[in-house]
Amino acid sequence: MIMETTAFRLFLSFVVSAFFSGAVFAHGGVVQEDDLCVIKVNYLRAHFKIYQPRVSGHEQFCEDLPAASESVFVMEYQHDALKGMPIDFRIIRDVTGKGRFARMEDIEQIDDLGSATVFYQEAVIEPNVFTVLHEFSEEGEFIGIVSATQPDTSKVYAAVFPFEVGFTGVGYWPFFIVVLLLLQLQYLVMSGRLRRWTKGRWSRAASSLLFCALLIAPAAPVSAEDGELRVSYSTPAGPPEINRIHSWILHLESADGVPLENATIEVAGGMPEHDHGLPTQPRVTKELGNGDYRLDGMRFHMRGYWEITVTVVTAEGSSVVLIPLHL
Amino acid sequence: MRSLLLKLGVVVVVIVVIVIGWQNRSTEPPVWTDAEIDVLRSLSLASLPALPPDPSNAVADNAQAAAFGERLFFDPRLSANGGIACSTCHQPARHFTDGLPKGQAIGTSKRNTPSIVGSAYSPWLYWDGRRDSQWAQALSPLEDPNEHGSSRLQVVAVIAGDDAYRSAYRALFGEFGDISGDDPVALNNAFANVGKAIAAFERTLLPVASRFDDYVDAVADGNRQQRESLFSDDEVWGLRLFIGEANCTQCHNGPLFTNNEFHNTGVLSSPGELPDKGRVAGVQEALADPFNCLGDHSDDPARQCAELTFVRTGPELIGAVRTPSLRNVELTAPYMHKGQAATLAEALRHYNEAPDAMIGHNEAKPLELSTRELRQVEAFLKTLTAPSVPNAI
Repeated sequence: MIMETTAFRLFLSFVVSAFFSGAVFAHGGVVQEDDLCVIKVNYLRAHFKIYQPRVSGHEQFCEDLPAASESVFVMEYQHDALKGMPIDFRIIRDVTGKGRFARMEDIEQIDDLGSATVFYQEAVIEPNVFTVLHEFSEEGEFIGIVSATQPDTSKVYAAVFPFEVGFTGVGYWPFFIVVLLLLQLQYLVMSGRLRRWTKGRWSRAASSLLFCALLIAPAAPVSAEDGELRVSYSTPAGPPEINRIHSWILHLESADGVPLENATIEVAGGMPEHDHGLPTQPRVTKELGNGDYRLDGMRFHMRGYWEITVTVVTAEGSSVVLIPLHL
Repeated sequence: MRSLLLKLGVVVVVIVVIVIGWQNRSTEPPVWTDAEIDVLRSLSLASLPALPPDPSNAVADNAQAAAFGERLFFDPRLSANGGIACSTCHQPARHFTDGLPKGQAIGTSKRNTPSIVGSAYSPWLYWDGRRDSQWAQALSPLEDPNEHGSSRLQVVAVIAGDDAYRSAYRALFGEFGDISGDDPVALNNAFANVGKAIAAFERTLLPVASRFDDYVDAVADGNRQQRESLFSDDEVWGLRLFIGEANCTQCHNGPLFTNNEFHNTGVLSSPGELPDKGRVAGVQEALADPFNCLGDHSDDPARQCAELTFVRTGPELIGAVRTPSLRNVELTAPYMHKGQAATLAEALRHYNEAPDAMIGHNEAKPLELSTRELRQVEAFLKTLTAPSVPNAI
């Protein structure tokens, strides 16, 4: 009974401290939102994760790290503005004495930032995903500082996140149980198992709904008077084969067989079952007359079920036609 | 108490025996359906189409160019220290790989050395597809400080200074022009021609039929006796998994067992390195390469270049690398773009788990195959080993 009370209190203190750290750094720090670890650089957000590939493999961490080891910090932008901003990344030993509660004001008061710094990545513009690597040589308390500069205004946005490397100051064994339980929960959440479990169900439900919608939705009409738009295609170089780039001839006509001229056509496609698009970016390169258009750059890289969406824009309006294709 | 322990012991032993028996149970191999036979045929070398033309290389199919390129391929003079040839890493006896996680030349190269066999079929070269032809690719290691560490000036000077090379070059491409370095266009042109000769040789490196190809023939002919003598039950089950439940043919398809496309499969970063950005960066390099299909040194007057013109970029390509061929995979360890998997079993375990990618999104999904099934897939993969090396020299 006593044990349970102690465990419960420790658990409660965990919850409270998690709440506080979230509240303190809401204007620029790392927070756990639902099952996602997010870094907020002012209003700019990125999915944040840390790996220790040599000791923990694919396991993701949000702030605290289990060991002094090679650590890879990853920021996947949720905000496109970050793609064009110079971003720098600094890790310092916690010399503020504020621990979990350190914030930007405390960092600004450090006289010699250089000597406290254990890692510094100069500002770079990274259009895809921001990554840095640092090998911690010792355990302890650290603070990460990410700054992004708005190129137009030169305004600097910063995020500050204190974290611990190596679990220090761990007391007696009931505490371990709580930690283990939390780690297990974190593993389920961070490894995506929980997410996959729920997501799988949602996406299956969503895709079956979408499928039903596609079944009942007719190809959208170009305009009310013309009736529905019909799209057909032919492949002059023989039936489509995988791994071969080739061209299509698209034929566009209204339901009563009138060819559609001067249309702007965009083509996209992918495999809904595999969650990926076409390997190329095909384009209509020529209008051949009589409702025919040459579509170049088609390539499929797997057998299976593909969907090609043809978006047609004319003076009368726009519509989207889906071409199913079994390869 | 003792009799209880004894009973418990007996129960444990019985369970262990049952589990081991189940793991090694013998099961009749499947009967292939028509649809499966169709898939098997699509993987057989008999289905390999003719070499796709390379209009950007006028000497691509010229036998003299191939002979000249072959000599260049093995010539260590095309390096800063006179000790590195293309064949240092692309060793014929190892199916043109080197058995190392990353290539070792003057320094350590960026990634694992891929085989060259069948690469004429690929629209993109390198793990990240940063070159769009064999000849453009062949130029790049010559000037890479960690690989040949040479320069175009030095490479062209070696060729102009060797009697046999000089006459071979002139017969194929005409006069050198001013290759002193004062005329960059003439120098780049001569350098591009060196790549085109090497590519003409590399184009001749084609896969040799393996036991798997013979098996497909036997299946297609309905020759049961031959079929059974060629493949063990485990190999048949492994093949069944390969084209089915294990999802391997999503990427490893066609007679070369690759779609030559780019996929993120969540492989762990290499020690001391950031996760590889892969294709998302490689595609930008290919587009900017002065030796690409649309560049001044391309021999294609029409500049068709469909792959480069209709290339796709986007965040899906973060961390994506090119699917390697699985032909002779048994002999080309270690695996993955930085040699992260030492053995086939390790590579298969990775795909079975399909962990979340460090950067980008892992396209693969966990397979949940048993250890027995993984062993069967591995057994099948070993049937792709060819009895001989192409162009053994």
